[in-house]
Formats: sequence, C-alpha cells, structure tokens
Amino acid sequence: MALNILVVDDSAVMRKMIIKTMGMCGLPIGEIKQAKNGMEGLKKLEKNWIDIVMLDINMPVMNGEEMIDEMLKDPEIKNIPVIVISTEGSSTRIDRLKKKGAGFIKKPFTPEMIRDTIYELTGVGEDDE
Amino acid sequence: MSDRMNNVISNVVIETIEKLVFMFASPYDPENSTGEDPGTGVSVSFKGPFSGTLGMKVSGEVLSEIAANMLGVDDEGEITIEDKKDALKETINIICGNILPAIAGKQAVFDIDAPEIIKEGEDIKGNDGEELVSDLKFSLDEGRCDLVLFIKGKIPELDE
Repeated sequence: MALNILVVDDSAVMRKMIIKTMGMCGLPIGEIKQAKNGMEGLKKLEKNWIDIVMLDINMPVMNGEEMIDEMLKDPEIKNIPVIVISTEGSSTRIDRLKKKGAGFIKKPFTPEMIRDTIYELTGVGEDDE
Repeated sequence: MSDRMNNVISNVVIETIEKLVFMFASPYDPENSTGEDPGTGVSVSFKGPFSGTLGMKVSGEVLSEIAANMLGVDDEGEITIEDKKDALKETINIICGNILPAIAGKQAVFDIDAPEIIKEGEDIKGNDGEELVSDLKFSLDEGRCDLVLFIKGKIPELDE
C-alpha cells in the first residue's frame, strides 16, 4: 500500500527536507501534497485522498494544533493519522497533542524517526509494497 | 554570563547543527579558521517563564552549505536567496526549540515567534529589558557561526 502524504509547514525548505527524508525511509510513498498552513492543509484534505498528514505547529493563518482540532470535528477526515513534526520542546504541549491522537517527532529528525512513527500510527513499514 | 549556561547552549547547538545539516560544529578557534566573518543574521524571540531573543549570524559559505544540506542538493546554483533565508530561519527556530527546554526544563511552555532576518551589517539586539546571557562563537566546517542569547526575567539556574 503506497501512502499518500500531505506535508503542512510554512517553510518551503522544511517541506522539501521532510519529503527528501521520507524518501530515505524505505516506505512505499504515493502522491505527496504540500500546504503552507493549516487552512491550506484542510483544503487539500477536502480535495485529495490522504493517508497521513505530516504537520508543523507554529504556522501563520492556522497553526497545526488548530488544524488537528478542525480535523477532529469532521467525520470524513478525523481518522487520518497525523504526525506533528515540530521544534516544540514542552512536554506539556506534546502530551496535549498526543491526547488528540497525533504522533510527535521533534526537529531535527532522522529517517528512522519518521519511519518508526509512521509504522506506529499506520502499521505501514518498509516491507509493504 | 554563566559558564554552565554557555556549556548547555554550546552542546545543544553542536548537536542540532550536526543532526540538522550534517555539519561539524566546534567552539571557534581563530587560529584554525580560514572563514570570513559572519554577515547574514537571523533572530527569534520567545515568551514563557522568561522572555528573550536568540540571534545567530553565519558566514556566507555556512549559509550556502546549510541550505544545500537541508535541501539535499549538490549544485549551489539551484539554491535561491529565499531558500537560504528560509533555511537560516528554520535552523534558528530548531536551535531555539532545543535550547529552551535544556535551560528551562521540559515542562516549561514557551511561545516562539516567527524568525526574522537581520539586515547585513546590523547587530543582533535584544528587546527592551533583555540582557545578554550568552555570546558564543563556533566554527562550522571552514566557516563561522556566532550565537547570542538575551533574556528578560529570572535567569534559570541549571542543574549540575
């Protein structure tokens, strides 16, 4: 099963870095969509079949936690796995995001961290075609 | 300025730079550096149990290499000025996000503002009432990176 992925981050360089690193994970990757804030991310989710969302937290217009909250209100998209990739260092905030069902990866990240977190949330790993 | 604070910050910067952009950072050694002085700067402000500003300046070759390594490209011609600025902003954002829990504890909650590029030739300054608590210089491969931290409020006492 190839994973269609939505990468939401206000930094174009970080989006490219996440996409490049995901390519190094050995995971079956399908289509990759990009958005630069939570609002754009929700629009992409409306129009595309997405299997997993890689989401930054600190973004203008709509931040990552607000996007998660909006997703949880919508039965069509509330079960899409979300992995927060952020500089957030506060365990208080990280625990709050995890209670909302999100996985968490702290920047800087490695391909292994992304691979393992995706596997934890989706069950999809290197051996899946 | 506390040596312990400098040590904690230095360790975080070295580890973050290595993991993020695969560059070897070490305390600046003028006798073994051929690099130019840092010119391009960026700063980020934060608020929480204490507020402050973290600033960083890098030399030209460091800026190019940071962007190239983050983007995974060999040809620097492919990298735009905007890419370089964006890469520098992300770098200080990530360094700040790793320094704050190291000096304030993992429970502390901070709001980190969007990083801002500092005009060439301008010094990095703290906001009103912020005091300089750390001023560090690093060698990054053959280039240089200077980092300053300003804090307003009670400066955390770090554990042994």
